[in-house]
Amino acid sequence: MARRGGRSDRYGDLSRRDLLRLAGAGAGLSVLGILKDVGLVEGAASAGTLTVGGAGFDIKTLDPGRELENGANNIDHATYDSLVTFEGEDLKTPKPSLATGWTVSADGKTYTFKLRPNVKFASGNPLTSADFKWSIDRVRYLKGNAAFLLEGLDEVQTPDPLTVVIRMTEPHPAILPILSSPVLSAIDSKLVAANGGDASPDAKTKDQAEGYLNAHSAGTGAFMLQSYTPKQEIVLVKNPNHWRGAPKVDRVVLRNVAEPAAQELMIKKGDLDVATGIGADQVRSLTGVQGVTVKTSLASTLVYVMMNQNPQVGGPFANPKVVEAIRAAIDYNGMLALAGKGALRQAGIIPNNFPGALPGAEAAKTDREHAKRLLKEANLGDITGTLTFASDLVFYGIQANLIAQKVQEDLGTVGIKINLNGLPYSVAIQQYRDGKNQLGIWQWAADYPDVSDYLVFVPGRTVAKRTGWMADASPVAQQITQLAKATETEVDTAKRVALYQRLNRMIASYGPWAPLFQPVTPYAFRSNVRGVTFASAWMVDYYTVSKT
Amino acid sequence: MTLYRYIARRVLLLFPMLVGITVLSFLLSHAVPADPVAANLGDQAAADPTIVAAFRHRWGLDQPLYRQYLIYLWNLVHGNMGISISTRQPVLLDLRQHLPATIEIAVAAMLLSLATGIPLGMLAAVNRERPIDQAARVTSLVGVSTPVFWLGLIAIVVFYARLGWAPAPGRLSPTITPPPFVTGFVLIDALLSHRGDAAADWLQHLILPAAVLSAYSLGIVTRMTRGSMLEVLGEEYVRTARAKGVTRWAVVVRHAARNALIPIITIVGLSFGGLLSGAVVTETVFSWPGLGLYAFSSATSLDFPAIMGSGIVVAAVYVLVNLVVDVAYAFFDPRIRVA
Repeated sequence: MARRGGRSDRYGDLSRRDLLRLAGAGAGLSVLGILKDVGLVEGAASAGTLTVGGAGFDIKTLDPGRELENGANNIDHATYDSLVTFEGEDLKTPKPSLATGWTVSADGKTYTFKLRPNVKFASGNPLTSADFKWSIDRVRYLKGNAAFLLEGLDEVQTPDPLTVVIRMTEPHPAILPILSSPVLSAIDSKLVAANGGDASPDAKTKDQAEGYLNAHSAGTGAFMLQSYTPKQEIVLVKNPNHWRGAPKVDRVVLRNVAEPAAQELMIKKGDLDVATGIGADQVRSLTGVQGVTVKTSLASTLVYVMMNQNPQVGGPFANPKVVEAIRAAIDYNGMLALAGKGALRQAGIIPNNFPGALPGAEAAKTDREHAKRLLKEANLGDITGTLTFASDLVFYGIQANLIAQKVQEDLGTVGIKINLNGLPYSVAIQQYRDGKNQLGIWQWAADYPDVSDYLVFVPGRTVAKRTGWMADASPVAQQITQLAKATETEVDTAKRVALYQRLNRMIASYGPWAPLFQPVTPYAFRSNVRGVTFASAWMVDYYTVSKT
Repeated sequence: MTLYRYIARRVLLLFPMLVGITVLSFLLSHAVPADPVAANLGDQAAADPTIVAAFRHRWGLDQPLYRQYLIYLWNLVHGNMGISISTRQPVLLDLRQHLPATIEIAVAAMLLSLATGIPLGMLAAVNRERPIDQAARVTSLVGVSTPVFWLGLIAIVVFYARLGWAPAPGRLSPTITPPPFVTGFVLIDALLSHRGDAAADWLQHLILPAAVLSAYSLGIVTRMTRGSMLEVLGEEYVRTARAKGVTRWAVVVRHAARNALIPIITIVGLSFGGLLSGAVVTETVFSWPGLGLYAFSSATSLDFPAIMGSGIVVAAVYVLVNLVVDVAYAFFDPRIRVA
């Protein structure tokens, strides 16, 4: 503000000629020149404020009980705390957060957490186990976008103010990483209940706290929500009473800068401290720019081609030989080049950064002669198909259009003719979810940092169902379904990983997908900004960031 | 017909027109072969029938279509435009937050194109077939035919990145705390709260997007002024005035321009609607948080209340501006009223 006052004094420097230029400026460009001359044009932001550029702003709500989007996880991770968390970019080892430690019962159904003593909400209310019970029950009964995270929950018990017991109906080792989600963080139940919050089984109709939680945060997090203007801007201020000690920046201003090229220019000039909405093009042009660090973070996402196994929809693509031929026809190296620096091949359906992933050597290889042989064996004559994709969808900076064209070209080399069917996202995804895509390009991004989120590829489950691959489709499908049941309830870590690998290998061999690549999220920050880490679960953790 | 009766008739016509707009935008947005569930619920949630049912119930999508429309209309009559699915706040509040930003750049662009286009068109007409005329014609052609998206990016690269004359895209610098929200217009709110810093910062941010957005209407205004001036300059009364010894510029400014500029009023009305709807691209490129960005993201997420709200507001502003234009026209040219 002091700088600002100093600047306005310089209005006095405007000469009469300057004023005439101001008045007569046609396109207004000379006005810009004058404003620059008198030093009015904004320079870099001050040290206490971290300016972050995000693109798209997928945030629909900041209410932890109702959100699921990446952008909202980013803000709620800064303003709330969960029982457990992950540190930096690691998404394999849950670490203590509001819980100092936990025990798991022998049957794998009961998870007991000890809460950190003397933690206070930003309001000053003390945190107790009752707040966790209230918050988790609320998510469960709101039946919002994230209610599925609590599938299999029996009840939350609070034997004493510092103990939270989570009882599941089945052994459910995935609940630990799931509990790191900002959705399941502790809400100040007294404060929010006084502002319309409800966690009873009727919360779906009774809870009226969403408006309150979009204007105020009610957590123990390092930051507090100062203002939220949907689709425009979010301002966070530091919580001086945060239990880990106050964060290193006073304020975080998150702006929606929709155009990646604009983010590139802004970070180059220092008008943004962190840019999270850039694509592969910006990575290329920002690499080597002085004062800017560019990084990529592996996304827990698989981009794949699906081939419908329902013969009425899939036609020739329901034939296992055709499926295998397509896997052999795709030019994976070309696909990786398209995906940009840092993107990885993926051998199965489980991303490389999760336990259960397969070594790269097992990934399908491009072998077009083999593909042609398989097509000959299938003996289906000329094969033509329709590839559906969302033409307005951008997979981590890569346009869906480009991937579709590449698939069309690759399959053309073995004699499969592909018609491209690009549709608006909301139309394309509807058809896909209804199981009506013959061939499609889609992605599966982990909803929480655990491999169990990839069980959707098991025959008869969410993704497989859309692909027409049902649990009773074949003896192999039945076998995989059985294996999946044993895998998801296995409590022993080593056995669990081995089971997931086996499952992954079987789906890779018999499933109707061609895994294209595991994408990366590019991001950039100014060199005077330190401690920037990016985890796909909640993007940048502002607590560790400092600015000089 | 008197001027008052003319205005009264036009104002009364507004209401059936607005009802028509609600029917049209309701039918159009529901004709899309997609479901808001697909656009608003995650993959896992969409696979859970109880979550889908809760979503449909919350947003009234479990009602038959005609009832959804009647409920909407009933609420609208009572001043309630519903809650936006993608911002979870009343659409009326969303519009109050987004519309002023769009009006800011639309008005600034209009003023810029008039301030530049009219003198340019007049100069071109007076100096017909001379270099200045050629230059004006090229300017107008470029303005009309250049894609705003490209022009915007080039403007940012040149004036922000290279020359450093313009500030970063956005409506205010991140270091500036916005003035307290009263009208939503930064200039007015800044003046009300004596925040000269915010007003100055806003003005710097405004100029470049407004200039880019004005390119199209600048082209049209220049062309229209030139054409209309040429026509008037050939009229007998202009020749008479010259013959009487009135100086050339006095004839151009006092006699010719006053008559030639009447058609420009129409252009203002037509272009203003274009500026409102055309602001989508400019707003995207310049991160200008206006109605265009809001309407676009509402459409892609099938946020029905927001789509309806944006449609009604843009249509209403368009209709109102045209009403003002027609009234102004009737005021300046009595022949309109007689007809």
